[in-house]
Amino acid sequence: MKPLALIIALLAVAGHGRVDAQSAPDRAKVLRAAADALGMVRWSDIGTTTTRLPGIDVVNTMEFHGSGTVEIAGRPAKADYRAAIGYNPPGMRVELTWSGADGRQQRAIQTVRDDYAWDDSEIGAGLIPGKGTATPATTVIRERLLQLWTLPYGVVKAAIAAGDKTTVASQGGVTTLTFPLSGMLSGITVSATLDSTNLVTKVETRPGSAAPASLATQTDYSNYADRAEVLTDIKTPGRIVRRQGTRTVLDVNVMVWETNNPYLVFPVPANVKGAAANR
Amino acid sequence: MRVSGRVWLATLMLACVSTAAAAQDIQASRRTNNAAPKPSGSTPRAPDGHPDLTGVWNGLGDNLNGVPNQIINNGVVIESETSARDLRSGLAITTFPRTNAPQNNEVAERAAALLRRSGSNKPLYKPEYWEMVKSLDHNANEEDPSNNCMPAGIPRAGIPSYIGQQANHVIFIYPGQGGLIATQTMYRMIPTDGRPHTPLQELDGTYTGEGIGHWEGDTLVVDTWGFTANTWFDQLGGYFHGENMHVIERFRREGNTLTWTATVEDPDVLLEPWTTTPRVALLNPRPGAMLPESNPCSERDLSHIVTKEHH
Repeated sequence: MKPLALIIALLAVAGHGRVDAQSAPDRAKVLRAAADALGMVRWSDIGTTTTRLPGIDVVNTMEFHGSGTVEIAGRPAKADYRAAIGYNPPGMRVELTWSGADGRQQRAIQTVRDDYAWDDSEIGAGLIPGKGTATPATTVIRERLLQLWTLPYGVVKAAIAAGDKTTVASQGGVTTLTFPLSGMLSGITVSATLDSTNLVTKVETRPGSAAPASLATQTDYSNYADRAEVLTDIKTPGRIVRRQGTRTVLDVNVMVWETNNPYLVFPVPANVKGAAANR
Repeated sequence: MRVSGRVWLATLMLACVSTAAAAQDIQASRRTNNAAPKPSGSTPRAPDGHPDLTGVWNGLGDNLNGVPNQIINNGVVIESETSARDLRSGLAITTFPRTNAPQNNEVAERAAALLRRSGSNKPLYKPEYWEMVKSLDHNANEEDPSNNCMPAGIPRAGIPSYIGQQANHVIFIYPGQGGLIATQTMYRMIPTDGRPHTPLQELDGTYTGEGIGHWEGDTLVVDTWGFTANTWFDQLGGYFHGENMHVIERFRREGNTLTWTATVEDPDVLLEPWTTTPRVALLNPRPGAMLPESNPCSERDLSHIVTKEHH
């Protein structure tokens, strides 16, 4: 073997031993690709002449409606599922409607905003005296926040926010993002799988030792499309399946997912703030 | 007239050089942020000592983020190519480099609609109106009163493009806009002579209401009520209001900038007063700047719209 060929061969062998480190995908590129795949990165020159603004993350509020099987009080039930979500400020309101054992329609409204969680007797309960009841639900704040941050858009936002703590691995055409959550969810690690088109297809959460097991989840997203009435080019999953351990706690097919930053607000009722101050 | 090949060639070369130079000029002057401009120059004073707001306030031509006269739309300020934040919450908004992929009108319109709604500065309606507001914005093509060439109303009209300040009143002119948000031309004559408001129940609701001005230090405060309910109080969002809406606008001139905010009070529909994100206009620097005539507003698009996409 000629010296040059030998050197090249040795370099190749030496490089092979470090293939994972050398070929690790660039974090910024992967996150950009994931955000682009979902349609989160946008800019527009409409009405401008000399201004060229960069792209920004435009996802703030969304609302989706589906139906399927939801675990309610420890039992699976056929339910109608509506979710209103917001990332600035972080908030989520899930409205479940199902038929009870007696055939009568049941309804539950579960809301979280920042560090507050509560159950509403009606939408916006407790904001106006005499109109509905808002019951603090402090024990499930993290569970509800986790639903928000494990949606595909929450995953991309949280992975970007985690900065250098986000790691990227690629194997067999599948890319995995791993990153820690912060704030109320600190101690929880997220692993998100991107498919070959960079869409988030699986999100797993691993709680730290002190966190309850209910924060260990796996959520699968599939059948992406733009299924909004006001088209935005934002891709949304058509099916969501979430598991806690071996239990499937949510399996819904989404019919409509409005992505045009619709008017959704999550004001915290005064009694919920008061309860949080006293805890 | 016949032009020789040599002249054509010379003309072509000159055109290429000019185009390249112009492109360089545009590149050099391109802004990559939508931050409010910093004031420069001194603030002129009227004979009574108050700042003189007189001038044509359309010095910044770009509709940054796609809304005329609104520099920081819906509260998201892009400070640079690598920094953006929500003014109300302080939350950092992630920026991304643009790609060279061309945008057709459809893509750009959809992006603009998202950008305009991405901030957090939203009025807080009573819960019984949450669905209604969402639905109005969702169906804005049909529901937005301004889409049918009706006046934008106050405070939706934003900063007037012309202010004429006299000792006892100010004149505001809002030229009509075609295209992006088609509205009629509006004007207001605001007394600043200390007179009180007409009692609300004695006023017929109008698009500009009854505005009464007074000075608080160097800030002109215009207090307005007596509105028709047939307007939205921001440029998007389906933000309807009732006839008891009360609007307080604040105008502050510093050098060649005019900063404007409006606070909307409407206890009939809102849980709490709402204040717009401050907007800043630049004085038109051209000597003898004038307002061009507005195109007449004649709605001809609505019957051809087949989707719910809108600005």
